[in-house]
Amino acid sequence: MLTTIERIAFIVLALTSAGFAIHGIKTIVDSVRKGRSAPELKNIPASLIKAGIMVLFQQTIFKARKILSTIHLGLFFGLITYAFVNLVDILEGFIPGFDLVYGGKHLTFPFLPSGIINAFNLIADVMSGALLFSITVFLVRRFIVKDKRLTYRENVLLNPKVKAGGQNKDSLVVGVFVILHVAARLLGQAFRLTDGADPFMPIASFLNGIFGASQTGVHVAWWISLCWVLYILPYITRSKHTHFTVGPINLGLAKQNPRGQLDPAVPAGEKIDPGAKFIHDLSWKRVLDSYACVQCNRCQDVCPANFAEGASLSPSALEVNKRYLIKEATFGSHPERLLLPLTETVISPEAVWACTTCHACVSVCPVGNEPMADIIDIRRRMIVDGAELDSGVQNALQSLATNGNWMSKGKRLRGRWAKEMEIPVKNATEEPVENLWFVGDTASFDERVVPNTKMVARIFQQAGFDFGIMYQNESNAGNDVRRVGEEGLFEQLVEQNIAAMGKAQFKQIVTTDPHSFNTLKNEYPQFGGKFDVKHYTSVLVKLFEEGKLTVKNPLSGYKVTFHDPCYLGRYNGGFTAPRKLLELMGVEFNEMPRNCENSFCCGAGGGQIWMGKVAPGERPAENRIKEALTTFEKNPSDKKQLFIVTCPKDMIMYSDAVKTTGNEGKIEVRDLIQLIAEAVGLEAPIISLETEAVAS
Amino acid sequence: MNIVVAIKHIPSIADDLPVKGNNVDFDSVDFVLNEFDEQSIEQAVLVKEAVGGTVTVVGVDMIGELDAVLHLALAKGADKAVKITGDDPAADSHQQAKWLAEAIKGMSADIVFAGVQASNDLDGQIGPMIAAHLDMPYIGGVSSVEVAGDSAMVNKEFAGGVGAKYSVSLPMVVGVQAASKPPRYAPISKVRQVAQTATIEKIAPSGEAGAGLTFKKMAPPVVTGHAEMFTGSSKEVAAKIVELLKSKGLA
Amino acid sequence: MSNDIFVITEHMDEKFSDVSFEMVGKAKELASALGGQAVAVALGSGLSANGFASDSTIYVDGANLAQFNPEAYGKVIEALVKEKSPRLVMFGWTATGMDLAAWLSARLGKPCAAYVKNIGADLTMTCQIYGGKMSADVSPDGDMAIAAVLAGSFPVEAGQGSTAATQIESPVALDGLKIKFVEAIKPAAGDVDITAQTKLVSIGRGIGSKDNVELAEELAKKLGATVSSSRPVVDAGWMPRTRQVGKSGLKVKPKLYLMLGISGAPEHLEGMKGAELIIAINTDKKAPIFNVAHYGSTADLFEVAEAMLELL
Repeated sequence: MLTTIERIAFIVLALTSAGFAIHGIKTIVDSVRKGRSAPELKNIPASLIKAGIMVLFQQTIFKARKILSTIHLGLFFGLITYAFVNLVDILEGFIPGFDLVYGGKHLTFPFLPSGIINAFNLIADVMSGALLFSITVFLVRRFIVKDKRLTYRENVLLNPKVKAGGQNKDSLVVGVFVILHVAARLLGQAFRLTDGADPFMPIASFLNGIFGASQTGVHVAWWISLCWVLYILPYITRSKHTHFTVGPINLGLAKQNPRGQLDPAVPAGEKIDPGAKFIHDLSWKRVLDSYACVQCNRCQDVCPANFAEGASLSPSALEVNKRYLIKEATFGSHPERLLLPLTETVISPEAVWACTTCHACVSVCPVGNEPMADIIDIRRRMIVDGAELDSGVQNALQSLATNGNWMSKGKRLRGRWAKEMEIPVKNATEEPVENLWFVGDTASFDERVVPNTKMVARIFQQAGFDFGIMYQNESNAGNDVRRVGEEGLFEQLVEQNIAAMGKAQFKQIVTTDPHSFNTLKNEYPQFGGKFDVKHYTSVLVKLFEEGKLTVKNPLSGYKVTFHDPCYLGRYNGGFTAPRKLLELMGVEFNEMPRNCENSFCCGAGGGQIWMGKVAPGERPAENRIKEALTTFEKNPSDKKQLFIVTCPKDMIMYSDAVKTTGNEGKIEVRDLIQLIAEAVGLEAPIISLETEAVAS
Repeated sequence: MNIVVAIKHIPSIADDLPVKGNNVDFDSVDFVLNEFDEQSIEQAVLVKEAVGGTVTVVGVDMIGELDAVLHLALAKGADKAVKITGDDPAADSHQQAKWLAEAIKGMSADIVFAGVQASNDLDGQIGPMIAAHLDMPYIGGVSSVEVAGDSAMVNKEFAGGVGAKYSVSLPMVVGVQAASKPPRYAPISKVRQVAQTATIEKIAPSGEAGAGLTFKKMAPPVVTGHAEMFTGSSKEVAAKIVELLKSKGLA
Repeated sequence: MSNDIFVITEHMDEKFSDVSFEMVGKAKELASALGGQAVAVALGSGLSANGFASDSTIYVDGANLAQFNPEAYGKVIEALVKEKSPRLVMFGWTATGMDLAAWLSARLGKPCAAYVKNIGADLTMTCQIYGGKMSADVSPDGDMAIAAVLAGSFPVEAGQGSTAATQIESPVALDGLKIKFVEAIKPAAGDVDITAQTKLVSIGRGIGSKDNVELAEELAKKLGATVSSSRPVVDAGWMPRTRQVGKSGLKVKPKLYLMLGISGAPEHLEGMKGAELIIAINTDKKAPIFNVAHYGSTADLFEVAEAMLELL
């Protein structure tokens, strides 16, 4: 079809385009390789194939935004189709007589059966329509409707170019490309239909009805369509649309360790500063993250630290800032910017300290990004570099270092609650027990939570469950210490606990606190502490199933909803045991819209409970209480409405939120254990020494 | 500039204090660094950062657990750590001050920092006593120290923001009330690194001194009155307080 | 040796402090039991020291003694004590007395007791140590002892009188001092005077972090009160020093003293126990503050404060 001069011209243009594109790819690869080593990935080909299948079925985007995700299908399959279409178009240009219309009637090399040609034409034609439709929807959404979810809050640190609309420019360029490219190609097809309509090319046939056929038109459309491709390929390597190819690859290279196990602060076997100050202190995988991200902002939607109006944290802003930082240093003329601290270029210190480490951003990300892990690495280095800490965090850490708990309580007071029990609680470091109960700080010391702790002990005792605690030998498990970035202190706590557990004889560990549960289960093994760790909800389910506990008073008068704690649910998949227990209690159960994997963090994790500062506006816990009430409203009744939690931190956060939202009387926060105690009919009342002491 | 910080390792008052005979049962309490010593270590490091020099932290090892405290001080910026192997948890301030003064004698100190007081200073604080033994001037209640040449400008607090500026020619002993900046946090990784690499100089106690006090009795104070306690939920407590305030015309 | 009781008085802006009178009152009682004299000792320049109920008053006048100077005061007191050999020398356990008592003890090799809350006729001293959690009775060995007395331990009135002071020159030369007074530091201008407030919401270590101070401020605003604090909160830099109540802070006597998270170390109690209504909220049920407060609660201070905000 093409003349010799045209052919030469096209080849020159194609080579130029390829040159720029390869340069772009090389720059990205170089930059990624400069990152620190990441934890070893096993069987990468299998992971990539698995990711490929997931991408093909677009599974990961459907975790949120079902409608927009459906429209993304049009883009995804459309662009895949067009990769083939463009290839075929080039063949048509270069191979005389290669002309895929009318089932191949005009084909001079009849090597393709007409069925395939017709199918190809049909798919190309329909997908052109789908592509035009979906890109139009996305452009309208971004530029006309101005969907707020595509923007960042005012206090979020943004690269100046992003702030000036860099991403919108990318979207516009690629959007216009898609429209003009597809339109040109469709018109080209229409111009080729010299015999009138082809039933396998409905859209092209329709256009043919308007514009008729034209050989010149075919020629011009071919050039327009493919020149766009030659322009856009290098452009993509310099825009957020690296997403097209890096997205699936990144998903295939995603972290394989358990969610609840953080990457080491220093890569194994290396002697470098822990954590991250500069972009290339991040692991190569997390440098790659920034190229996978297309700023769909699903992470921002689910981030509890982005929830309030004045929030400064956006996981997606972190990723786009990372990419722009590298872009300015590599494609741009500012290589020195790579030596600017991440806290000046990528995320504000305020935002660094706002993360609750709830993992929602990582879980929801369709391309396997881990912005949360970057934040923890940045915290790690800030702490080692002696950054000024929030006074509450500093107090907590100091107390943890000296007392083993964050509440500035003496070590010896840890087991005081147990000494107040009627039936003695065994000291697992002194006599063998079946189950070692790791109690945790809040449950041991906080006067508001201690009654629940005693209740757990009494239920265990009632079930004949043999257990002991470590009294003053237990230290904080370190989950939040690690997530606040104090890796050294975390290691110290781990060593203290493993040493204490070494003195104890037990078969398994039971925890009541999801945070302790997570680190004991997922992180202690890295330090030689390999134990069988159970959350008490699954232990109780077993005790009920074995008939060691029975429901004496079914609680049908209660209408309840359940909040999945991040570190039990999203991190460790402990969704069913608490729900099973609620079912056994005979309560009326109402599931909130955000449940299980999509549970919404209370806002206390990752050290937030130690900090006084919260962004102005509605707090996540307050929003959650409202969500519960709306859920209850769908099933109106006179029953008592309970918000059930199973994490000591939740007890504190949600009790506060019920008050601050003025919903006292409408909804009450209770620990799961309180319901169980009532249902199994704990015999003797729990004697509160507190009241006695006060009365004297 | 040779800067010395004399510290005290004292029973923690975070727990109840058990009594044995006429004194605290030292076997059943945790020992912690005197909280004012945290301030004086910080002030010493700030002075070093301002004018250069070395900071030596020295303390009496009461129960054999002083190393952890010294490691922390080193991680916060001290350069040398010295412990006097007292091994007597009941050593009083007079005895400790004597031992410390003997140890400091050989350090040609320009400034000796001490916490202004400690909660177990039954027989007075070590700072002024070290000054007396070393024949250096002592000034306590200090909230900032600026060294210029061979003298220092110190702020002494009297009460509620009222204070006075003094110029003191070195060497001197300073009792620190508060450092000019809140004490820094020492990352534990650094503390642990220090713990592995640092050497702590051990000095045998030398010199004798005693408080000259005979213990007759030690017990929690006799309670003469007790507040009327509001019980119930926080909300109920708040309501009772508000009601009380209203009844007295205070709200 | 004599059976005299020396009281080292202290003053600021030409006014003797309450603790000086408290000690003189106690000294009289002890002196009469021991058969000695209660001697008030004042150091200053151009000062009138005729207001004590002591048996006698020694007033040492010198240009170097106009303002407190630990070195100059120490030298004068050491010389006087050496010369007169009293049975007991009393200092206040205050910003000034704390610079001198232990120093003198080490200089003279005589016993010293600090945190003294009471002194018996046999000179047994009751000391409140370990942040007020422990009370120790000790008796000094030998023929001379030093006591550093917590302010507010004895009545002020018993020490007030009109004994004419005997003015003397410094018994030692005060030239070549290593410590020189430079200037007085006044509280930062513009801040409120907490001693003039009728209602105070006072915060302690229990407030946890700097950001939580805001909650106390909100509560204070609703109550028409001012926020004051204990020493650790000031040392942490969360509150200005002008708001500190206690020994190294200010003494306050408001109509309402609402305490959030203050355990009540003796140093703090010294500054506030004259308040008309003391309400303490502290989670430690054994906190010494509950022995002084009129009303108390072990509830969570944040919850109570927030609930109060709603009710006010």
